Amino acid sequence: MNEERDSQLSAMFDGELPGGECELLARRLTRDEALRAQWSRYSMIGAALRAERGVALHDRVAWRVQSLVAQEATYGDGTMDSANATRTSSIVPASELRKASTARWMRIVRPVAFTSIAASVAALSIFWLRTQDDTHTLLALSPPAETIVLEPDTSAMVANNPAPAAEARVSSGEPDRYTTPAPNSTPGIVPSARLANYVVAHSEYSGPLSRRMALLGLVASDPSEVPATLDEETTQSAIRATARPDDEGAADAP
Amino acid sequence: MTVEESDLVLVKRVQRGDKSAFDLLVRKYQHKVVKLVLRYVRNPAEAEDIAQEAFIKAYRALPQFRGDSAFYTWMYRIAINTAKNSLASRDRSPIAYDLDLTDPEESHSVQTKLQDPDTPEGMALTEEIRLIVNSAIEALPEELKTAIVLRELDGLSYEEIAAAMECPVGTVRSRIFRAREAIDKRLREVFEGGLGRTEEMV
Repeated sequence: MNEERDSQLSAMFDGELPGGECELLARRLTRDEALRAQWSRYSMIGAALRAERGVALHDRVAWRVQSLVAQEATYGDGTMDSANATRTSSIVPASELRKASTARWMRIVRPVAFTSIAASVAALSIFWLRTQDDTHTLLALSPPAETIVLEPDTSAMVANNPAPAAEARVSSGEPDRYTTPAPNSTPGIVPSARLANYVVAHSEYSGPLSRRMALLGLVASDPSEVPATLDEETTQSAIRATARPDDEGAADAP
Repeated sequence: MTVEESDLVLVKRVQRGDKSAFDLLVRKYQHKVVKLVLRYVRNPAEAEDIAQEAFIKAYRALPQFRGDSAFYTWMYRIAINTAKNSLASRDRSPIAYDLDLTDPEESHSVQTKLQDPDTPEGMALTEEIRLIVNSAIEALPEELKTAIVLRELDGLSYEEIAAAMECPVGTVRSRIFRAREAIDKRLREVFEGGLGRTEEMV
C-alpha cells in the first residue's frame, strides 16, 4: 500500500502520474507531513545528483517561504487550506488584495487617530484649565486694594473746631476717602495699561470717536483688569480726554 | 500527464486556498531556483534571499497565473527579474569584480564577499548528503542507475527513457521509484529525523 503510494509520489514528482491520481495524491500531500518530507527528499536527491554547486541541500528557502506565505492572504474560499484559518470570499485578484491590505492598515491607523484626537483635546483642556487656575491664583495672591479714610487731624480738632474743615472739604468736592489700587504685576494685564497710556498720550492727535471707542473697548474687554492696573491719574486723564466739551456731540452720535 | 500539468494541479489548489500546495511547489523548485539565481549573484546566502523573495512574489501573483506557460518557466522568469532588480538596486554588476588586492581595504571586502556565509553545520550537511547520494547511486543496479540518471540529469520523460532503455513506461516508472527509494533509505538511515526543516541551520 505504502509502496504503491510512494511510487505514485515519485511519478507525480516527475509529472508522470495520471490526472485523477494526481488530484487525490495532492489532497493527501496537504495533510501528510511525512509524505511532504519525502517529496522534499526527492527534490534533494535530484539536486545532489546534478551536483549543483553553491546550492545548499536543505529546506531553508522552503521553510522561510512557508513562514512568510502563512502571513499572506489565502486565495479562494480558503476551505482547502488545512494549515491556516484565514478565510476570504472568492478568488482574490491583486486589486482586491491591495484593498484588503489598505483595510488592514485602516484597522490599525483608525484607533491611533482617534486616540491622538482624544489626547489632543485632553491636552488642550488641561492647558486651558491651568491657564484659568493661574489667573485665579494670581488674582488671589494680589494684595487687596487699600481704602484710606481721611481722618481729621485730632490735634487740630483740639485746637479748632473740626466741623468747618470737613464741611470745607465737602464743599470743595474733595472726597473724604479714596482707594489705592492694589499693586499687581500680572504680566497678562500689562498690555491693557500700556494701551490705556497709549490712548491718553495720543488723544489729541486722534479723532474723538475712535478715541472713545478704543477706551470703551479697553474697559469693556475685561472689567476686572482696569481697576487693578490703571493708575488713577491715567484713568482720569483718559476720561477727561474722552469727555471734552467739543466732543460731546460726536460722542452721543449713534 | 506532464510536469506542467502536474504542477498546474498544485497551482489550482493554491488558487482555491491550499497554501500547503504552494509549499510543495517551493520544495520541488527551491534548489533549481537558487542555482538559477547563483548565475547572477555569487553569494549563496544572497541567492537564497532572492529565491525566497521570488517565491513570495510568485505567490502574490498566483491568482493571475492561468497556466498559459509551465509553472517553472513562469517561476524562473520571476526569479531572474528579481535577481536583476536586486543587482540594479545595489548597483552591482554580475560580471566579475575588478580586484585590487594590494589595497588592504578592498582585499578585506573581497574576502568577506567570497566567504560562504552558510553555517559550518549546514555546509557539512550539504556535503554529506552529496556523498550519500553519490555512493547510493554507485551501489544501485545498472538499470535503476540509468533510469534515474536519464531522468534527473538529462531531464528525459518516462516515455523517452522507455524508448532509450527499450522497456515499457511502467517499468521505467518502477525503476525510477526504486532508485529513489534506495537513495532515500540511505538518507533516512543517516539523518534519522535530522534531515529536512532543521531550524538551527537558519
